[in-house]
Amino acid sequence: MTNTTTESTDTPSGFTKNLHLNKHISRRFNEELEQVRTLVMEMGALVEQQVNDGLTAVLNADTKLAVKVIERDHEVNTMELEIDEYCTQILARRQPAASDLRLIVSVLKSITDLERMGDESVKFGRNAIKLAKGNFAEEEGSRPLVELRHLGKHVSETLNKALTAYAQMDVEAALEIIKNDNIVDEEFDNISRLLVTKMMENPREIKNALRVTWCARALERISDHTTNLCEYIIYLVEGKDVRHATIEQIKASMSN
Amino acid sequence: MNAIKIPKPGHVNEATQTDLSQTDLSKIELSQTVGNIYADNAKMSIRNADIYYGDKQAIDNISLDLAKNQVTALIGPSGCGKSTFLRSLNRMNDTIDICKITGQFTLDGEDIYAKNLDPVLLRARVGMVFQKPNPFPKSIYENVAYGARIHGLTNNKAELDEIVETSLQKAGLFNEVKDRLNDPGTGLSGGQQQRLCIARTIAVSPEVILMDEPASALDPIATAIIEELIDELKEKYTIAIVTHSMQQAARVSQHTAYFHMGKLVEMGKTEDIFTRPSHKLTENYITGRFG
Amino acid sequence: MTKHNITKSKKNLPVKESNSTTFSTTERVSLGLKKRHRKEKRFKRVGLSAVLFGFLLVVILLGDITSKALPAFHQHWVKLDVNYQASWLDISESSSLGLKNEALTEQLNKANYRNVLRKSLYEMFPEVSGRKDKRSLTKLLSSNAEFTLKDNLLASPQLFDKKTQVWVRLDDDVDSYLKEEFAEGEAGLRINQNQAQWLAKLTSSENVESRFNISFFTSSDSREPELAGIKGALMGTLLTMFVTLLLSFPLGVAGALYLEEFAPKNRLTDFIEININNLAAVPSIVFGLLGLAVIINLFGLPRSAPLVGGIVLTLMTLPTIIIASRAAIKAVPPSIREAATGLGASKMQVTFSHVLPQAMPGIITGAIIGVAQALGETAPLLMIGMVAFIVDVPTSIVDSATVLPVQIFLWADSPERAFLAKTSAAILVLLTLLLIINLTATMLRSKFEKR
Repeated sequence: MTNTTTESTDTPSGFTKNLHLNKHISRRFNEELEQVRTLVMEMGALVEQQVNDGLTAVLNADTKLAVKVIERDHEVNTMELEIDEYCTQILARRQPAASDLRLIVSVLKSITDLERMGDESVKFGRNAIKLAKGNFAEEEGSRPLVELRHLGKHVSETLNKALTAYAQMDVEAALEIIKNDNIVDEEFDNISRLLVTKMMENPREIKNALRVTWCARALERISDHTTNLCEYIIYLVEGKDVRHATIEQIKASMSN
Repeated sequence: MNAIKIPKPGHVNEATQTDLSQTDLSKIELSQTVGNIYADNAKMSIRNADIYYGDKQAIDNISLDLAKNQVTALIGPSGCGKSTFLRSLNRMNDTIDICKITGQFTLDGEDIYAKNLDPVLLRARVGMVFQKPNPFPKSIYENVAYGARIHGLTNNKAELDEIVETSLQKAGLFNEVKDRLNDPGTGLSGGQQQRLCIARTIAVSPEVILMDEPASALDPIATAIIEELIDELKEKYTIAIVTHSMQQAARVSQHTAYFHMGKLVEMGKTEDIFTRPSHKLTENYITGRFG
Repeated sequence: MTKHNITKSKKNLPVKESNSTTFSTTERVSLGLKKRHRKEKRFKRVGLSAVLFGFLLVVILLGDITSKALPAFHQHWVKLDVNYQASWLDISESSSLGLKNEALTEQLNKANYRNVLRKSLYEMFPEVSGRKDKRSLTKLLSSNAEFTLKDNLLASPQLFDKKTQVWVRLDDDVDSYLKEEFAEGEAGLRINQNQAQWLAKLTSSENVESRFNISFFTSSDSREPELAGIKGALMGTLLTMFVTLLLSFPLGVAGALYLEEFAPKNRLTDFIEININNLAAVPSIVFGLLGLAVIINLFGLPRSAPLVGGIVLTLMTLPTIIIASRAAIKAVPPSIREAATGLGASKMQVTFSHVLPQAMPGIITGAIIGVAQALGETAPLLMIGMVAFIVDVPTSIVDSATVLPVQIFLWADSPERAFLAKTSAAILVLLTLLLIINLTATMLRSKFEKR
């Protein structure tokens, strides 16, 4: 998909170009699909913001930001409902086929994953508030938080890449992200191990350590959802369902 | 048109790998069909069919199989030759003087354009249902009995009655008309008329039924009934259906062939064609894009 | 159309406003609307008056013909006191007494009824004397009167040598005179003063009676108008039409079916088609010449026969039937043909079990139009001798005959006054025949359409 960048110069976005969303005989249909895409990208941006803010709140023990994240979750939920309804309308009225159908199906699935990511962000917020009360951050400028920051940065970057790939229908980038999914799993294992050690060393900190574990766990979940997003991109562009398949299987099916 | 190689079933054309995003529509090479034109269990096989109306070529080098006991939908824009092609399958084009057909058309391995094959016999084996319901201006009974009668399929009235009843039953019309078999067939509703036409076709016990937009003149309810009927009929018959409604093709068929300007652009399983067509032209057509 | 325009134009209805660009669509349309409606109304009126004019002409024509024809449907008879005296009959009394019945009948057949008639008449008018007066007195009666006496006596031989009363026809001139209601005793056309007075005497003694003219329908042509009837011409017409229909219908339908359904489309069939259309435009007299030259002279068929007339009229009717049939066959929806072909019906089966029944109403209409044309045709029949004066009613298609239109032509040409009414009456009969044929056609048509 190397041509994506070159082609995107003459059209607003790679998304539109690749799927020829602007080429329907019905101009109204073009607009509707474009609108769905825009909404999803908006929702993606919002969720990314939530994840980043939640993470920041945890790491900086920022109660204010944490509250804000929790409060903003309903916006994510509202957007999910809105897009859901929009897609249902398109299905009912337009009976989309082929790439249009795949677009709608992938959007319907993507928003579920995005909403879950939003829920995970709320977990960040709740834990951030509790962690701030427990003075965890001050006591330990310690390794678990460093590790968490590290993992958080990776997950956040991946999510950003995934959303970019989504916007540009970039199958290569999506594949790359799916391939690197195990890195997050490993990191999560590292943090867990670290925290278990901490808890055994200092039973008073079990509560806080558990909270950090949950945050790490949330990051791991977000990463999984990100991977899902990438799988939808492949489904959307290639028409291949690559869920529950190994990366080798995916590549084999795509070259077919 | 001799010595046509008929490759083994299951073989997939090379051109399957056409890349959607990079295809320049003006440069699309149509000579080769994308997808799989072969059926494991082919009832009819057509190879390298060319059909001309005078100097105009209506069908350009089309090859495909009709899988036995399955529904094959032929879709494509108006004037793409799908109806012409369908009509060539039971030699309905014979009646048109300027129509010239070359290529190999086989039914169970038998050349249907062979000199010694009477088209009347062929049409008894390959029935046809038309776009507009066209019952004869006779009674319902006579409509159904006509085919059996001209082919001498029955020895007595009782047998004929039997054929009429079973045919009407198979067409799902019997219960609606059993009390008025002697009423004129033209007095039925559009959907009933079309089912009467189907019953009339079934009465001859064909092996293949060709349907040329059978529901295009009907309302959605009647259409749904016809579609349900097609689904039942495929247990016994091999069906080829031309339709303008993509949704209908998607609903009733197992295989779909997309025609474009007299060429077969893509053929494959219906489930694939309607979710992930390989050819840009197919994609454009079924999603309502202009190419 | 902006809001501004609406408000502006509402204020002052802009019939002659200079900047007409501000007119709204509604205004522009309504401006022209009246004119358009006027045009429509005008056209409707013109169309209606055209129809009415045509209708009026038909009514006038029919009224004229009917009023002229009415006198022909009744005629005047006179009651004579007849004395079948043997001597007047030129039968010797002595021989007659001894004769058997059969011999008597033979004698009666040969008897002189003219004498009986004259003598009886002179007895009724004893005041008439002199040859001239006597002749004009006899002229009051139809020349057929003596045969009426004969028929009467033969029917009841017991009247022989006895006196009786017999109704006989009056002469056509007398008949016309009586129908024209002259004052009593007044001389009229071809009726002199004396005759008028004698008639007045007969009328006043109620010896003259007007009766329905049954002989108009039961007898054939005659030189005497009071005896002339149309039976011969009617039979001639029916026989000729029978031949025409028998030949032209199957031939026409077969030809049309072949050309429409079976013939390959090539130059030859195009040529044939053009010529059939041309044939329809050929003057009918040419067909008469053809009939004379080929059918009578070459094939030697009898002259003046309905057979020949039928063949000639067939030539004339055939193109009409073929053209109409082809149109009807063409109008059969191709979907019916396809349906039958798709079921495996052969070309013959498709044509005869589907196309022909569907086309039948149209074909019948065409055939009737053709036959109706033939019914009124005169010219070609003149050429083949069907114009002859034929007294016998034809009983077969090879007998000499004439047809109604020719009969009308002949009567119209006759000098006798009474033939004027006969001509009109024959026209009425011809029109009635046409009406019957058309009604039959309509009935057949609706019957076929129902199926």
